[in-house]
Amino acid sequence: MGNPCHFALFDLQPSFRLDMEQLAARYRELARQVHPDRFADAGEREQRLALERSACLNEAYQVLKTPSQRARYLLAMRGPELPLEVTVQDPDFLLQQMQLREELEELQDDADLAGVATFKRRLKAAQEQLNEHFAACWDDEARREEAERLMRRMQFLDKLSHEVRQLEERLDD
Amino acid sequence: MALLQIAEPGQSPQPHQRRLAVGIDLGTTNSLVAAVRSGLAEPLADDDGKVILPSAVRYHAGSIEVGESAKLAAASDPLNTVLSVKRLMGRGIADVHQLGEQMPYRFAAGESHMPFIETVQGAKSPVEVSAEILKTLRLRAEQTLGGELVGAVITVPAYFDDAQRQATKDAARLAGLTVLRLLNEPTAAAVAYGLDQKAEGVVAIYDLGGGTFDISILRLTGGVFEVLATGGDSALGGDDFDHAVADWIIQQASISSDLDPSTQRSLLQAACAAKEGLTDADSVELSHGEWRGSLSRTQFEALIEPMVARSLKACRRAVRDSGVELEEVGAVVMVGGSTRVPRVREAVGELFGRAPLTNIDPDQVVAIGAAIQADALAGNQRDDGEELLLLDVIPLSLGLETMGGLMEKVIPRNTTIPVARAQEFTTYKDGQTAMMIHVLQGERELIADCRSLARFELRGIPPMVAGAAKIRVTFQVDADGLLSVAARELSSGIEASIQVKPSYGLTDGEIARMLQDSFQNAGGDKAARVLREQQVDGQRLIEAVEAALQADGERLLDAEEREVIELQVQELRDLLAGNDGLAIERQTKRLSQVTDAFAARRLDSTVKAALAGRNLNEIEE
Repeated sequence: MGNPCHFALFDLQPSFRLDMEQLAARYRELARQVHPDRFADAGEREQRLALERSACLNEAYQVLKTPSQRARYLLAMRGPELPLEVTVQDPDFLLQQMQLREELEELQDDADLAGVATFKRRLKAAQEQLNEHFAACWDDEARREEAERLMRRMQFLDKLSHEVRQLEERLDD
Repeated sequence: MALLQIAEPGQSPQPHQRRLAVGIDLGTTNSLVAAVRSGLAEPLADDDGKVILPSAVRYHAGSIEVGESAKLAAASDPLNTVLSVKRLMGRGIADVHQLGEQMPYRFAAGESHMPFIETVQGAKSPVEVSAEILKTLRLRAEQTLGGELVGAVITVPAYFDDAQRQATKDAARLAGLTVLRLLNEPTAAAVAYGLDQKAEGVVAIYDLGGGTFDISILRLTGGVFEVLATGGDSALGGDDFDHAVADWIIQQASISSDLDPSTQRSLLQAACAAKEGLTDADSVELSHGEWRGSLSRTQFEALIEPMVARSLKACRRAVRDSGVELEEVGAVVMVGGSTRVPRVREAVGELFGRAPLTNIDPDQVVAIGAAIQADALAGNQRDDGEELLLLDVIPLSLGLETMGGLMEKVIPRNTTIPVARAQEFTTYKDGQTAMMIHVLQGERELIADCRSLARFELRGIPPMVAGAAKIRVTFQVDADGLLSVAARELSSGIEASIQVKPSYGLTDGEIARMLQDSFQNAGGDKAARVLREQQVDGQRLIEAVEAALQADGERLLDAEEREVIELQVQELRDLLAGNDGLAIERQTKRLSQVTDAFAARRLDSTVKAALAGRNLNEIEE
């Protein structure tokens, strides 16, 4: 018997659109049941089990609350295993990514904090648009390829926002 | 003689007595112990009515002095009086030289890489020194509460790394304490503050102690304390303010900075007094030897500005990591003695755009929060019936060394614990049969800039062509924030694992020796204590099993299974009446084994119960 799927654990139907408030509330409810603190007084085996269950729950929550990870998980549920690293065939998007990275470098050279804030807003809007797009096509078998491409794009934007955060840190020195 | 006990509604349910557990704030400058008594968490006082125990240990030829009197001897007996030992916990001797040119001790290298301090009683590790402080607090608690402790929650700075946490746990073990949990100091403060104020929403805890700084951003929701992000600096605190003032005095008085230990200590004391004086006064008079001078608050603020700025930078990073906007932070709580410095309050207020809360006692709040959690972990019901849940995170990323001296992150910082994550690697040479696993902690890319936690080797990999072997390395961080690592070659099943006992920890040999020493010092009643522990363990297991049987026995066990368990319970109960410790231990283990499957079923059923009545989606992964 395998682990129940992340959605089932949270008593949800597999879907890309999730009510985040509800997900968080459900997470807290489940965490109360399995957290090792509840078993501080129990035997060693019981404590170890609680540790494992909690780690699984935390992992599931992490995946479900992060759009790119949720997207990846949904696609993996329905199809073949998705390799983590692939050569992405998405020239237009890659070109756009390169432009964005160049822009980011300029912001760093100019130490332009206001520019970084604007960049972040644009990035967030782009992410939301991608999410909408993915939500509309992920469960359509005919559009599988498109969905996978969108998921890869989400991962790219995640990396980019990580870089923005590192830039903010450097500029904070 | 049985006493008639009257329990208030909601209080300790009969026949089980309230189990004694304490919270301990093991601080750089001061330490405290607190407990929940009559539903109220409060610090416990010593015979003189003082709750604060200065974290000072003085070694005499035949005895050990802890607390205020030891602290007072720091200048007259600097080599045998250890202050701020927390700054040395989990550090290597190299770190110490880097951070501690002003520490007036003579260091000696031990078996491990720990800095041992030479005293009249021989070389003492920071773990042993800390254990003396913990022991003093344990005795105070046992005396005040009138019984043996089930265990303690000990607080650590949120930004402590794995080595520093492990060292703290070792110290507790040496002091004869069962550690129920290592709890992050800002989280403890949030618990005390949140429950007291019935606070909800996003809260920032700014905790500047004697030697460490933490910032934690939490979301409080109905008894759940969820840490969103934490940050800090485990070598930044009020001690550094003192050092800055001391340096200033050296400069002003044009004296050599190469001071003897006694002068160094008295200089630091003068600096500390000046810092404290400037909380209320605009300027203070200072003297050192022949030299006389005065220090204004403005001058002092300029001296500490770089450190205040460092703390603010950590705050901004934590807020960014937490994913909330600055405006969403509903309250900023000041914790730690160093938040009394007016400039610190002002700077934090400016950053968050709101006046920080300073109405709770910054010295006591951490111990009080720890006591509340200790009480809950010991299995006592809370008076208000609200169940606590603390969801904490790891402060620093954990990873592995990969090709080219780079660190590959396996678990990023601010991941909620407990957590388990695996990463797959492969061999890079034909016929390679072993692989070195180097575990690291930190945020930088080069391994040289990260803290090395441990190295171990996976041997016996079947010879294959390069890239064919699949080696899965699993990191697991428990609720104390402690890491264990396992490696496994997937085709052969060859395994290696370690509890990370880092380069900077004590070796097992050192711990064994120290435990032995402490038993000898205790006057040879080791056997009696061991027997007592075996009896307590056995009794606790019986209580746990009986409670479990009563709750779920009917539902989860068939008659035969139940009979087996009950039989083993009875056997253990019979043994408990006697003095055969070994037999008690054996039977306790046996009972634990026969209840294993039952325990697993119970845990699974709690999850199912939480989902009961709902449409369970049966998709398997």
